[in-house]
Order: sequence, then structure tokens, then C-alpha cells
Amino acid sequence: MKDTITSTFILLLTLTLVAALAASNVSPEIIVTTVVALAFIKFWLVAFQFMELKKAHPFWKYLILGFGGLMGFILIILL
Amino acid sequence: MNNTKSIYYPPGGILIWIIIYLELITFGMAILALAYYGSEERELFHNSSLKLNKTIGTINTILLLTSGFFVAKGIHFFKASNVKKTVSYFNWAMVGGFGFLVLKSIEYYEKLEAGLHMDYNSFFRFYWLLTGFHFIHVIVGLVILIIITFSIRKKQTAASFEDIEASASFWHMCDLIWLLLFPVLYLLF
Repeated sequence: MKDTITSTFILLLTLTLVAALAASNVSPEIIVTTVVALAFIKFWLVAFQFMELKKAHPFWKYLILGFGGLMGFILIILL
Repeated sequence: MNNTKSIYYPPGGILIWIIIYLELITFGMAILALAYYGSEERELFHNSSLKLNKTIGTINTILLLTSGFFVAKGIHFFKASNVKKTVSYFNWAMVGGFGFLVLKSIEYYEKLEAGLHMDYNSFFRFYWLLTGFHFIHVIVGLVILIIITFSIRKKQTAASFEDIEASASFWHMCDLIWLLLFPVLYLLF
């Protein structure tokens, strides 16, 4: 548990820095997909590891993943 | 402790999760509206987004994530009945949250000084409304953390494990909303 929280935190920081760097350096064609995908992974990590949804009933897991996935999908289509 | 595998007992209790989903849907709809108007006025949104400070946005993201990490660690130690470490981690979480508010206030001050107020254009209308509502949520989350930390420190039995977990979930919800706001406002246009 202890290691999971710490390793999740390190991963979240890394993904945040990668997203910030990618926004300036990645080609415009894939920037939206890249940044949205990274945001979705961070969203999933916070919900499942920090909020401990990984221990919850599948209903709550699919609901949060469905919301995050739908948001990401619509953002990619719109932008 | 309730059985979190039950559909009726997600971590923190069902009521906080109903609130979390309602908040996420509300912010989500506003973010999608921002994206829609951004797709209609690409140049205006691109030029406006360039006026935001990406470094401050990134540091604020790191501050909130760090604060969320401390809360998660606090919950972990509370489960292990280590009140001292729980209080210590919650205090650090509050420092992170307070740092976010200070940095965000500096950013707000800069924007107002530059004349980038709510009526400047449609991008900044979204910017002020979305980040403003999020700012209020962080203040509410901080107040909840202060109360719950005080309660743990005084060893008051009124605060059950579910109360503490629900408070932590509210704080993490602020992270979740910011994780959606940050890329759309600062990085994507």
C-alpha cells in the first residue's frame, strides 16, 4: 500500500511534466490526443489509487472510467 | 469499516460519491462547452491561452497532486491507527492546498493587472468561471481538512473513519477537476 501510493505519486508528477513538455514540443497533429491521453491516465491514477476506487464495486469503477473516457473522447473530437 | 466491495459503500460512503459525480458532470459539461466554443473560435482561444502562464499552471498541478499524495498517506496511517503521522500528513496536505491558493491568487492578480478580466473575451469568461469555481472548491476542501484534522488531533470520536475518508475524497475531487481543467485551459489551444 505504502509503495503503491508513493509510486503513483511519482508517476503522476512525471506525467504532469511530460504533458507540459509535450504541449510545447509535440507536433500539432497529435498534441490533443497526447495531452488528453496523459490527462486520462492521471485521472485514473488519482481515482483508483488515491481515492481507492480500486477496492470499490465495479459499478463505481466503470462509472468513473466511463466519465473520464467519454470526456477524453469528446475533447479529442472537438479539438 | 464498511465493505467497500458493496455497491452501497464505495470508499468514503455513497453520499460523497454522489456529490463527486455531480461535481464532475457539472465541471465536465462546462469544459466541453469551452472546447466547443474553442473549436468555433480557434485563433481567439489559441491567442488567449498563450496569455496564461503554463509554468504557474504546471506548478499548481504539482502542488495539488502533492497535497493529494499527503492525504492518501494520511488515510493509510489512519488505518494503521497512527494518529500522529495522520495529523502530520494532513498538515502537509493543507500546506500544499494553501500554496495552490496563493499561487492561483498571484496568477489572478497578474491577469487583472493585464486587463484580462471576465469580459475580455469568451476564453477568459470560461477561464474565470471554471478556475473560480474550482478555487472555491479548494477553499471548502481546506476548511473540511482543517476541521477533520482538528477532530483527529483531539481524538474526538465524532469523526468516524468514513467521515475522514469522505473528507479525503472531497479533497481528491479537487485534484480530479483540476486534472481536467489544466490541460484544456493551459495546454490544448
